[in-house]
Amino acid sequence: MSIVKTITPAPPMEADFASSRYRMIMAARFTVGGFAREWAHCHLLANYLARYVSANEGDPERHATLLSTFINELLEVIYRNHAADGQIELIFRKRGRHVILQIALPVTEQNRVFYRMAVQIVNQPDLKSWYRARLEEPAEGEDTMLGLLELAAVYACTLTISEPPGQDRISLFLELPEVDEMGEV
Amino acid sequence: MPVALNMRLTGDKEQEVTLTGTLRPFVAEEMASVRRSLEQAAWSARGALCVNLKRLKYMNNVAFLELNRFVRWAASARPDLRVKFILSSVIPWAIRKFQVIAELYPNVTIEVYDKAFYPIQHVIEDDEFINVLRTQEKIIWEHEQEKLAWHGMRPGLRVADICCGLGDFAILLQRDFRPEYLVGVDHSKPFLRYARQVVSDFGLENIEYQYGDAAALLLPDSSFDFVTCRLSLQVFNEPQHILRELLRICKPGGRIYITNELMAGIVAHPGENLIRWTYDKVIEIGHSLGMDMDTGLKTREILTDAGLEDIKIHLIDINNMNSDPNDFGKVVESWTYVTGQMCMRSSQPPEVFERIKEGLMAHVEAINSDRGFASWPIYAGSGRKPFRA
Repeated sequence: MSIVKTITPAPPMEADFASSRYRMIMAARFTVGGFAREWAHCHLLANYLARYVSANEGDPERHATLLSTFINELLEVIYRNHAADGQIELIFRKRGRHVILQIALPVTEQNRVFYRMAVQIVNQPDLKSWYRARLEEPAEGEDTMLGLLELAAVYACTLTISEPPGQDRISLFLELPEVDEMGEV
Repeated sequence: MPVALNMRLTGDKEQEVTLTGTLRPFVAEEMASVRRSLEQAAWSARGALCVNLKRLKYMNNVAFLELNRFVRWAASARPDLRVKFILSSVIPWAIRKFQVIAELYPNVTIEVYDKAFYPIQHVIEDDEFINVLRTQEKIIWEHEQEKLAWHGMRPGLRVADICCGLGDFAILLQRDFRPEYLVGVDHSKPFLRYARQVVSDFGLENIEYQYGDAAALLLPDSSFDFVTCRLSLQVFNEPQHILRELLRICKPGGRIYITNELMAGIVAHPGENLIRWTYDKVIEIGHSLGMDMDTGLKTREILTDAGLEDIKIHLIDINNMNSDPNDFGKVVESWTYVTGQMCMRSSQPPEVFERIKEGLMAHVEAINSDRGFASWPIYAGSGRKPFRA
């Protein structure tokens, strides 16, 4: 099954974030080297960040369990696809009941191609059929991509990319689905 | 990859594999032992293989895809075998994720096991019922509060209130005992929303509420000094599962505190014969629904069998002389609604419910009578979790 060529949605603009619709929750910065030293960092960071972001929710534990699932999937992809040096920056914002995670990371050209492809895939029309077909006939080497695909197909997350010109860095924007205060999608 | 894998037979025709904890491997190869166990179970299972994920808190896509591969393998290697994923509504990501697999493969089903776990939950979370529950909490607290310190409650403890309902008990504990941290767990989202709203309206701190299954809590082992479970064991058909969880989350040296009714001990005069018939009937109907409304009498046995030490028991004796008769009467009146639902669920003839209603009204009359006496016994018990294993 081939990817249908679509117009990749634009990421949010920095100016948007300054508006009152977006509420800053937290930011974190760490080195690629430290992060990539251990696979467990994805799990630990996802849980810690999710818990922090969910602190004021009606059911923080349930909200955090759900958020951790999304954050972990994205961190695992980044763990596998990043440049050797540099820093990873995470910013969590909230718009209404949506949490928006921005991750800026250093990339090689190969990584850049991977992320462009990933964003294109998760913005496929008829995403659910595409995802189901991939589960029925899994292809070698697609596992990593399927994690992101699932976030969009099953949980209605959206993923966009921003590539500042002339930089070896990209920003990914993962907008999580509307989650009520009791942690229900 | 912190994951616990248990395999156990659950019957002649079903085999169950349980995965708990966290399943976030780096590569599918790390799932080899899980996959082997699943395949081994699939070969020996007859009818259906249950994959129990109700306490699997985290799972990444690598693990999910490996389960997907297992299902594909099972469909071809054991086409006669059904694979049933047992999920809990408490795990917020699970149902959507596995629904996709269930839609894809005809040999796969999913079962949200806790949907049918609480027989009368829909009754007690009715909005109209909330005020009565609050009144009930108020009259019980008036008598319960003075004995809590004797059971070991004191300021600065980490407290878990399992089956917290509307959360009033947690709030009263916060006011009078200042715990360091208090979490209330319940399986009713309307109750938890209400509880959360109260906490937010009054700006209370250190109280958290959690949607959870008392029989499969997601709270960590040995993490609370004082674990409470009030008026709840009596309405569950398998209270031993809940007790096991209370024990698990309690720290060694911490205390478990339970309260339960003794419906057989409800007495009132005048009208005692009809009133007695009524409660005996409710006890009988409760049994048919898996509830034991006389659990209070078994408090010592329950705590002893759980392996607790230093067991303490006291009677919370609510009567129309030591409680506001108006409040007490309202509580008993509200039981008409609960017993009506119980009669319906147990397919009682209409005349049985009519007679129960008459009995409850006679009880209310006795409560409000200037010369009458009415008593409602609740037993509160606690025990210490031993330090030894």
